[in-house]
Amino acid sequence: MAIDYINTFWGNIFHSFSSQNEKDEIELLRRIPIFKDLKRKELKTISGILYERTYEQGEYMFETGQPGAAMFIIKAGELIINRKKSSGEEVELATLGDGEFVGELALLDNSPRSASAFVSQKTKALAIFRSDLDHLLEQHSQLGMHVMKKLAVIIGMRLKATNDLLLSLEEEVEHGKTG
Amino acid sequence: MEKPDERLKRSRVFYGVLFLFLGTLFLLLFIALQSLILPILIGMISAYIAMPLLNLLRKRGVPKAVGVLILFGGFIFVVFVIGEQVVSLMPDEREKIELRINVQHKLNESYLGFLGKSSFDDEGNVVSTLFEDELHPVIENINAFLHLDAQEDSLYQSYVDKGKISTVTKGYYLQAQTLPKALANEKPEAIEEDVDRGNLIGNLGFQPENSRIAGLLSAISNWLVTPFIFLFLLFDDGQIKRFLIDLVPNRYFEMTLTTFDNVDAAIGQYLRGTLMECTLVGVSFLIGLLIIGFDIQAALFIGIVAGIANAIPFLGPAIGLIVGVTYAMVVESIDPIIPFVSGDAAILMVVILVGIVQLLDNAIYNPVVLGKAVNLHPLIVIVGVAGGSILFGFAGMLFAVPTIVVVNEIVSTLHRQLKDYFIIY
Repeated sequence: MAIDYINTFWGNIFHSFSSQNEKDEIELLRRIPIFKDLKRKELKTISGILYERTYEQGEYMFETGQPGAAMFIIKAGELIINRKKSSGEEVELATLGDGEFVGELALLDNSPRSASAFVSQKTKALAIFRSDLDHLLEQHSQLGMHVMKKLAVIIGMRLKATNDLLLSLEEEVEHGKTG
Repeated sequence: MEKPDERLKRSRVFYGVLFLFLGTLFLLLFIALQSLILPILIGMISAYIAMPLLNLLRKRGVPKAVGVLILFGGFIFVVFVIGEQVVSLMPDEREKIELRINVQHKLNESYLGFLGKSSFDDEGNVVSTLFEDELHPVIENINAFLHLDAQEDSLYQSYVDKGKISTVTKGYYLQAQTLPKALANEKPEAIEEDVDRGNLIGNLGFQPENSRIAGLLSAISNWLVTPFIFLFLLFDDGQIKRFLIDLVPNRYFEMTLTTFDNVDAAIGQYLRGTLMECTLVGVSFLIGLLIIGFDIQAALFIGIVAGIANAIPFLGPAIGLIVGVTYAMVVESIDPIIPFVSGDAAILMVVILVGIVQLLDNAIYNPVVLGKAVNLHPLIVIVGVAGGSILFGFAGMLFAVPTIVVVNEIVSTLHRQLKDYFIIY
């Protein structure tokens, strides 16, 4: 009982920070594959470490080569993932919209970003900082294991997709040669 | 639709003015509320040190509020119970006067013994011929510092009349009256001012006031902020950090998060490491002094002082040495655990103990506990400690290195991150 009172007291002091859009955020997190099967309580825990950012059209969320520190979930808006070729020409790799996420590798280590995220429409995004997640996972080991497993599965799927793409490109090149 | 340039310009003006306004306000508050800086700092540092304990409790399934309350209870216990112990060990006015008379006597006795003299006018041994000219001015200064002035003299007489002064001290006092005139001089003004300012605890951020009660009340009300800072920082679940991060422009968002995290880790490691190192040094002193045969109260007091002072590089060990040797000089009898130590060798044993503790600290405690957490140039440390003592006295000396470590960590991490994020070259 006393604990509830203390928590309420503290919650009142930081009311505007702690309870803003909590429901929306939990619903949004539920749509992200990494957090898909988590319980509501666990999602609430994750939502406690989210940072909401608003990006104007024309801004970069991050750029190629910068150290990755956070994963971003698009709440509303649109991003273009692009990368410069050695010739300097920009190649669009993907367009991401509401509910999609980007920069998940940053949750594993601080290796440089492999592509840039260009904001093509005003975007509201939720960021999860690697270190915050690490601290959280230290305290909730079961939740941590679940998140890390999901992350590994997603990275594995993306690797598989890249392999498939590489194979089909190779086949195309071979067809081109024989044809 | 207006041009984006106009909006950008207006934003710059707005943030510029806001920054200037807040900067000035902060500076004014900093100057006006100087006496609150130390209590706030102590609350913050205590919270920092307690944070891993809270995480440990939470990991074990203890709810956060309960964990905070447990730690807060521990904090209050440490502050009041141990603080009370330390304060009770601090000499009161009468004890201080007695202590000074005793120290002065013992010092002169040891000095004369060292020079092979029975009085100041005698011919001494070879040491006297070689070093007396150099040593005498030092002894003269210490004597001048310890000698009672007219006001203290009348206070002493009033204690004698009430029968509160021991016979031994009375004897020492009478002997002090026979000292050569140069040794019994009135102390210089600067020293007098130092003595008036009070003891070590009195210097820890307490402001001199006309009335003692007013001073005490003001100091207590200042220190009331400490437990609140401690409590609020432990209850904080990242809200303060999130609030500050929200103010940062998008371009610096990830960089600021990383800088925050790196600085937080480095400072936490340094503060907890220093606390651990000081505790180990204090405990080593305590054990060593008990072996030498000091009584537990004195050993505990010297251990606490030496442990706290150890946070001051270079000067810390000297403070431990001075306090230990002073007690060894004054103590009438010791009860050593090891057989070959006699009361006469107490000073030598304290010196050896300080040497051993320093060796342990430099060879084991510091490398194991702190590792490479701090890598400051000795010159920076010396200048910092000297500067700290000029600005805030003993507390300034104590907090000089942690402050330098924090500033150094912030600047170097920020510089590295600004480069990594292509913001500067």
